[in-house]
Amino acid sequence: MIISSGCAPKNPLPANNNYSSYKIDVPFVSPRSELCASTSIEMVSSYWKSITAYSPLLTLAELDERTLIPAKGGTLQIELIAAARADGLLVYPLEATFDALFSELSEHHPVIVLLNRSYSWYPLWHYAPITGYDAKAQTILMHFADTPNEAVPIGTFAALWERSGNWGVVLLPPGQLPASATPEKFLRSAYDLEKTGMTNEAIIAYKSALTRWSDDIPTLFALGNAYYNSHQISSAERVYREILLIDFKNPFALNNLADILCRTGRSDEALKLLEQIETDDIQMQSIIKATREEIDKGCAPFQ
Amino acid sequence: MKVSKLVLSFLLSVSLFTQVLSAQIASTDSILGQSVSESSKDKLVQMISREDVSKRFQELGVDSKIIEARVASMTDEEASKIAYHIDTLPAGADAGMSIIGAIVFVFIVLLITDIVGVTKVFSFTKPINN
Repeated sequence: MIISSGCAPKNPLPANNNYSSYKIDVPFVSPRSELCASTSIEMVSSYWKSITAYSPLLTLAELDERTLIPAKGGTLQIELIAAARADGLLVYPLEATFDALFSELSEHHPVIVLLNRSYSWYPLWHYAPITGYDAKAQTILMHFADTPNEAVPIGTFAALWERSGNWGVVLLPPGQLPASATPEKFLRSAYDLEKTGMTNEAIIAYKSALTRWSDDIPTLFALGNAYYNSHQISSAERVYREILLIDFKNPFALNNLADILCRTGRSDEALKLLEQIETDDIQMQSIIKATREEIDKGCAPFQ
Repeated sequence: MKVSKLVLSFLLSVSLFTQVLSAQIASTDSILGQSVSESSKDKLVQMISREDVSKRFQELGVDSKIIEARVASMTDEEASKIAYHIDTLPAGADAGMSIIGAIVFVFIVLLITDIVGVTKVFSFTKPINN
């Protein structure tokens, strides 16, 4: 039984695929016991440092102490993500497909994957950055443990990757966009930066999303709120107004713009905006009610 | 989870206070289809799950000086996922098995296959079917 299941892994790619060869020059960092997550982040962040203006916020030693759980002898996926964000990178969860993987490689975005080098009943989990693909030899190139650009046959790679549910993340400086990104998923990644205190990086990420999806209202709204929350009120006002040019009845933008108008001594205009709002959402209605009460009372000016 | 009543009431008052301050602004969560303004109870639950994560990290040998920064760099959803599932989540480690580990592993596999009766490697085993 054990021998029969040891047959050679099959090539998972469709026979007529047109994936070409890519080679990304990711600097190699020697592995240290139990620290493959931290090492993987370091390799990808030094790659971005070498080709963009990005500069990592954490040293390798700081990445180490932010990722290792000694009793587990390794790093949880969530902590790899959280540490990469703290390093100033946007973390985009890769869609679990070869198409998504190859579209990132084609734009020279290294992807960190989680592999199980063994079977599920004796897992040996390992993080490694993918550094390319050789279409002729049909091998995935990756900085695997102590071997830079190790050529792993695509079938073997697929088998190891499948055991983690094809888990992978694209780590990018916030000014870059993943090749495979959708506006909503990218917005969530950027908003996660903001929620964990990386507001400047989040603002850069929202802006770069708008270079690709200029009319995306949720992204515009997130940018307006990030400006508002970092006290850049006139920028926030400009972005909320931009939303209303696209959707003049947008309740979120109307409400937040009304708040700014009221706090900057333009209560009449603020009330007019609130009158335009139509919404069935109960939570939204209660926010609007609060804004209206605020206007009636006289809004507190910005500090 | 032991949190004194004083701490609880302090956390509640803080979360109520921040909620009042930001009540009239629709947050980015609202447009992403997440709950708009969380109730103070939700906020309390989240604080407690962060506390849980800190405690588990301490038990698992994480340096206590860095725990706060590690937990702070997680979003609420991430912290509560870790709080609930830390024992079952995979932890990526590094290189493969050691040679000794592999030898022990092969020994155990062959021992089992001997006992099941599909191999006959060791003289001291007897297949269970015979």
